[in-house]
Amino acid sequence: MNYSFSVSEPAAGVRMCKIKASQFKTACISVNLALPLGEDASANALLPYLLHRCTGKYPDMRAMNMRLGSLYGADISASVGKIGEAQVLQMYASFIDDRFALDSESVAKSCADMLADMLFEPKLDENGRFFPEDIEREKRMLSELYQSELNDKKVYALRRCTEIMFASEVYSVGKYGTLADIQALTPEKVYSAWRRVLETARVQIDVIGNVDFDSVEKLFSQRFSCINRAPVEIKTQFIKTAGEPKRVREPMDIKQGKLVIGMRAGTASAQESYPALRVMCDLYGGSPHSKLFSVVREKMSLCYYCSARLTRQKGIIMIQSGVECENEEKAEKAILEQLELVRRGEFSDDDLKASVDALSDAFRGASDSPDAIDAWFSTQILDSQLRSGDDFADEMESVTREQVVEAANGVTLDTVYMLYSGEGEAEK
Amino acid sequence: MSTEIIKNELLGESYYSIDHPSGLKIFVYPKENYESSYAVFGTRYGSIDVCFRADGQQDFITVPEGIAHFLEHKLFESEELDAFARYAKTGASANAYTSFDRTCYLFTCTGNFKDSFEILLDFVQSPYFTEETVAKEQGIIGQELTMYKDIPEMEVFYNMLRAMYSVHPVRIDIGGTVESISEITAQRLYDCYNTFYNPSNMALAVAGNVTPEAVLEVADRLLKSKEPVTIERRFFPEPPQVCTDYTQQTFNIATPLFSLGYKETYSEPERSLKEIMVTSMLLEIIAGNTSVLYERLLKDELINTEFSAEYFTGYGYAACIFSGESSDPKRVRECINEEIARLRREGITDEQFEVARRKYYGRVITCFNEVDDIANSLIVSHFQKIPLFEEFDLLPGITKSDIEARLEATLREEYSSLSVVI
Repeated sequence: MNYSFSVSEPAAGVRMCKIKASQFKTACISVNLALPLGEDASANALLPYLLHRCTGKYPDMRAMNMRLGSLYGADISASVGKIGEAQVLQMYASFIDDRFALDSESVAKSCADMLADMLFEPKLDENGRFFPEDIEREKRMLSELYQSELNDKKVYALRRCTEIMFASEVYSVGKYGTLADIQALTPEKVYSAWRRVLETARVQIDVIGNVDFDSVEKLFSQRFSCINRAPVEIKTQFIKTAGEPKRVREPMDIKQGKLVIGMRAGTASAQESYPALRVMCDLYGGSPHSKLFSVVREKMSLCYYCSARLTRQKGIIMIQSGVECENEEKAEKAILEQLELVRRGEFSDDDLKASVDALSDAFRGASDSPDAIDAWFSTQILDSQLRSGDDFADEMESVTREQVVEAANGVTLDTVYMLYSGEGEAEK
Repeated sequence: MSTEIIKNELLGESYYSIDHPSGLKIFVYPKENYESSYAVFGTRYGSIDVCFRADGQQDFITVPEGIAHFLEHKLFESEELDAFARYAKTGASANAYTSFDRTCYLFTCTGNFKDSFEILLDFVQSPYFTEETVAKEQGIIGQELTMYKDIPEMEVFYNMLRAMYSVHPVRIDIGGTVESISEITAQRLYDCYNTFYNPSNMALAVAGNVTPEAVLEVADRLLKSKEPVTIERRFFPEPPQVCTDYTQQTFNIATPLFSLGYKETYSEPERSLKEIMVTSMLLEIIAGNTSVLYERLLKDELINTEFSAEYFTGYGYAACIFSGESSDPKRVRECINEEIARLRREGITDEQFEVARRKYYGRVITCFNEVDDIANSLIVSHFQKIPLFEEFDLLPGITKSDIEARLEATLREEYSSLSVVI
């Protein structure tokens, strides 16, 4: 491991992860806020974008960007993700290490202050409200972001399959909520979302690089001490076994069909059987030597892409593939047959070893940039204990053939969704 | 064999530049306290190289569009195990890519470096093409090309290139078309391979947790020498005019996408590093998130934060490109032209220049953070015949008047094409 890390709790429900590494040219700080996924999704989703654009101190967007530009192009970005049935808001600052600063000002300190101001001292009018024009701007841009992600038909098909498969679960809620909810947002709704997030979100702050950790910790502990914290508990519903498979086909004006197959992984928590499932998924449809890639794509030429992905925080496996419409049935059959083979243990020891080696190699290498380290730790926000890539790699290396077969046998088919080339538009 | 250590004290970076007896240029860039290593074996051969002749040949030969990308796919195969199956035994993560002007094969790993490195050197030097395997690949790549046709972001960009360029092969999609790749034969693949996959036209770069000894031990054993080849690429003289100043395609997307290109024509096929840097800074000043234009377009609801500008240049082509999402791309075009005119009239402020310079400085430093960026930059800079640290060294010498002079010379409205996908 090429970094050392320690964890502290500067405020109730706020975990700070301090990762010391001196080999990089840059450092980064991320603020991650997890909330239960639900009806406030759109108001929550707007927040990181709104907050990172301006602050009380830099109320003008261009002044803010000039300031960041003068800090050698320090980048503060916003994003929203979904981890299990949590919605996670992120504000992420990435900047050059202080040893490259051309004057005596600490870039790290300035960026940490800026992030804290974004979260706690936003741009408000004299009555302490968000400005309507700022809210309208962010509503427009979030709507456009929502729609542009769906321009990619791969993403669109996955999204539709998710809506169908989880129709009666919270997980069907998209990370940005709905277009109608975004459009119905008002300054008041966003303000109350902001207060609620400050008071109830489960927070993780990652600080990575050669940074004065104590001062960053002190900064956030002071700012959070002004908030009446009541961190919320976040739970995700796991359905171990699927019922009768659902099948939905929808037409769209596209050149190539998109087949998405959703499965239940047979688990009741994010940790249960994770190493075995992860290896199984890699062997089945993760890597270039996997069955889906080497057989369904390469040998049978049934699709251009075909891969399986495990989401441990919800206990599901989603298979995505791009197929010519006339090959739809053949492709589905082949994809399911390959899983059958894994269930029966029909894979070589070499294949198993290849998956274990590839995963363990990737986990051990996930530490060669501040971005990669942040991505590694921030996705563990719901886990009670933070673990390094080496810890995960060690677990992968202990997985046996029997465990893989057992994991595969716990998997059940839930939903088959096909977006095919045809007249008539599916719901946008 | 000659080995040179190239250092930059201010950056605190250094690497080995090796002239290998096989004729190949090798770069080894050790990074202390990095877990992984990243190796890339590249040839200066991309989608634009469809008409060329090698030493002594009398006539230029013309090959099917998309053949460089096709060759990339095929090289992974051999008579026995394909390269992916071999990498599966080492745990490395392998890939390859083809761009307009290069093809690169790469892997990244934390352990078993030498085993993976052997595979890389071996398969790139061992072509195996038969009519059967070519036919099968035509099916797979046909699917890939069809998939791209569903991605509006790619279509809007290629449509713009076709609107700007009438003869230069940069107007061709990197992968070619289903029709063009159907003309590819095993013999054509060998012709291209034997021309471009010659050590004198290639380079190898390894960065990260690696030593020159480990690299050379394998390279000495596996690299095959070949007579150096001189390749003459056909230079396609482009008229300054664009083919059409507007092109549109319907995709039924919510917010239209646009790419606006300002074509530049030169008698020399390649741009200098300084020109590229000055132009990038100019584009930052015109359209970056610190610009007056950016602020105004956002306020007028004409763009969102996807808006960006880049200098797009390679052998025989150069263009300034603005792209983004907009409900009214034609209006965006007018605003960009107005802003260019205003800056020409009023000049660039010292503050704008200083912020652009600092942003560039930060960006150059960040380039030395990740092993994949470093290794790929080594290959690109070698093909461009520009030393890796030159960008960092040139930066303090760039002045505001350099940028103003560039502004006078480029971004001519009459040579621009707007591509829109709605």
